[in-house]
Amino acid sequence: MDFTMITQAAAQTFTLYNIALIFGGLLIGMVIGCIPGLSVTLGIILMLPLTYNMEDAASAIILMLAVYVGGMYGGSISAITLNTPGTNSAIATTFDGYPLARKGKVKKALDVSLFASTFGGLFSALLLLLCAQLITKAVSKFTSVEYFALGIMGISLIAGVSGESLPKALISGMLGLLMACIGKDSVTGVSRYAFGSNVLRYGINILPAMIALIALMQVVDKLREFRLSGGKIKDANKIDSDGMTGKEAKSILPACFKSSAIASILGAMPGVGGGVAQFMCYNEVRRSSKHPEEFGKGCMEGIAAAESSNNAVVGSAMIPLLTLGIPGDGVTALLLGAFMLHGITPGPTMFTKQGVMAYTIIIGCLVANIFLYPIGKALTRAVAKVIQVRYTYLACAIIMFCFAGAFAASGHVKELILTAAILILSYVLTILDIDNTPLLLGMILEPIMEKYFVSASMAYDRDYSIFVRRPISLVILIITVVMVISMMRVNRRVNALNAEQEAAMAAEHEQMGSAEDAVRAVETAKADADASFEDSIADAVFEKEHVTAKPDVKVNKDQDKP
Amino acid sequence: MKFKIKTNLVSGILMALFSGYMLYVMPKQVKVPAYDSGAPSPRIIPGICLIVILICSIVLIIESLVFKKEKIVEFDWNNEKPAILLIAILCIYVFLIIKIGFILASAITFTVVLLYCGERKPFIYIFTIALAVGIYFLFTLVFHVSLPAGILPF
Repeated sequence: MDFTMITQAAAQTFTLYNIALIFGGLLIGMVIGCIPGLSVTLGIILMLPLTYNMEDAASAIILMLAVYVGGMYGGSISAITLNTPGTNSAIATTFDGYPLARKGKVKKALDVSLFASTFGGLFSALLLLLCAQLITKAVSKFTSVEYFALGIMGISLIAGVSGESLPKALISGMLGLLMACIGKDSVTGVSRYAFGSNVLRYGINILPAMIALIALMQVVDKLREFRLSGGKIKDANKIDSDGMTGKEAKSILPACFKSSAIASILGAMPGVGGGVAQFMCYNEVRRSSKHPEEFGKGCMEGIAAAESSNNAVVGSAMIPLLTLGIPGDGVTALLLGAFMLHGITPGPTMFTKQGVMAYTIIIGCLVANIFLYPIGKALTRAVAKVIQVRYTYLACAIIMFCFAGAFAASGHVKELILTAAILILSYVLTILDIDNTPLLLGMILEPIMEKYFVSASMAYDRDYSIFVRRPISLVILIITVVMVISMMRVNRRVNALNAEQEAAMAAEHEQMGSAEDAVRAVETAKADADASFEDSIADAVFEKEHVTAKPDVKVNKDQDKP
Repeated sequence: MKFKIKTNLVSGILMALFSGYMLYVMPKQVKVPAYDSGAPSPRIIPGICLIVILICSIVLIIESLVFKKEKIVEFDWNNEKPAILLIAILCIYVFLIIKIGFILASAITFTVVLLYCGERKPFIYIFTIALAVGIYFLFTLVFHVSLPAGILPF
């Protein structure tokens, strides 16, 4: 490790400004993460316009990473209090978090979740710090040919694992690449597919595309749900004051460690996100647990497994992004977009040319995970109240902010028109069952891929066979094909298993709920019976008193007469 | 109103038509530079993308018609109507921002959105309008991004 750079980076990270950004980012991430239907990606997109004018790009990335870290924990708040995961990565948290909450131990469940999240996040951030330099050294001999091959790998892997149909995912990815080609070609200056329009002449900026494809689509979906349900909000479990004890924290440490280790390996593989990792970790921890029968019934190990896995993915997903420039999932794809908006190209050159910045980002990620614990401890109760805020308050604010942010991309109204057009395209793609994540990734990766493609072509006198003649490039392309095929199979199996597991857990929760309801009904009936018994006694007493009192009244009445 | 969409077939046909058209207009829309700078043709990347889209579209059509492999999505108008209306409202919002400025456009659009969502309490309307003003000045004064002021005098 380069300790000189790390020392410089640490000094840059621990400024008051960056610490304030981390605090703010964690809080925003927790709030957005805990609202079901709003994802961490939305949080990151909302941060993009805010970071536009930041002088230090590392600060901007640190802010977004803090949102990512906070959002991953925030997802568990609604998973525990509402049985509705705030983010996809918190689905497995509902398996044990909600049953524990139903037992009246909401604070304990939240504490376990926070402890496990912090543990997982720290584990992977340290791994990122240790591995980054090693991987960078290993790939330092890569040329533009290999980088282009890596770009193909990134887009193919995301296409391979998103959605059920590979052709549809490929169409989506290629549409993204094509959309990014629109406008003036940076090398030849030729206009491409502008159709004589002023809106398309200068190309499509990534920011309006990200806003329309991810943020606005989520808000529209959530507003639709609001309108259809009449704005009903589920009752959340109240947070008690009985938190996790030190002994309990010790007991869940092995589960945290195992889950963090598995998730870190999975998260570092491009194409696997927190969604997949959580189930695999949960299953593995349950399999190796001394009390597997307690899983699904409010077991703390279960919450620890799920929560440490999704936060462990944050740091490990940054490994391929920072060292190779390949995003691991949708969130890191957005972060790659954020890097590009700030003029940084992640990859091995980043560690040689902008080493301090690279380490500042890594240390920022580490610090965000450390701060998550005290902030979570202090603010979870307040953040949990956001779930009960009517969504219309937030939706209008998010939409306004999105359009204002899209406009900020170039300060021209064409960005607003493009945002609306891409929103319509995104809706049409949803109806056609085409996932728009590969599209977004295609748009983000195209400028980098084309840059390397042009450099490689010019260096080898337009000999395009060079991409399969250079051994490393060929190996990357072969690995891409093998990984896409194998990961599609693995993903199908994992998805099938997950669906089964989710259905089983939902059935168990329902059973648990109905059993509790039955107990409650019996108690209510008993209470009613007791009450009616008491009432009957009271009535009898009253009647007796009434009857005995009657003469008194009469007497009184008589007495009152003149 | 409900109808089923054979998504493989429909997306295959639509994307095949789209890629075919884009390939057809490529000579007009992506001109080859007058002099050779040694750089690859600007048509290569879009060309590869369009050909892959065309191939995938044909695969989808074959999957649907020959192998009867289909993903059917049920389009329920009652379910989709709110989403379509909201997207339409947001398109009108863009038009209004350009014509009358950010604050007025936000005030009008989100009043409609809130009414549509069934909100009746006056506070939420006041809050939303105040938010529009707040976001306008946040971007203008703090981020130095001049959002369209439209007919308002600032």
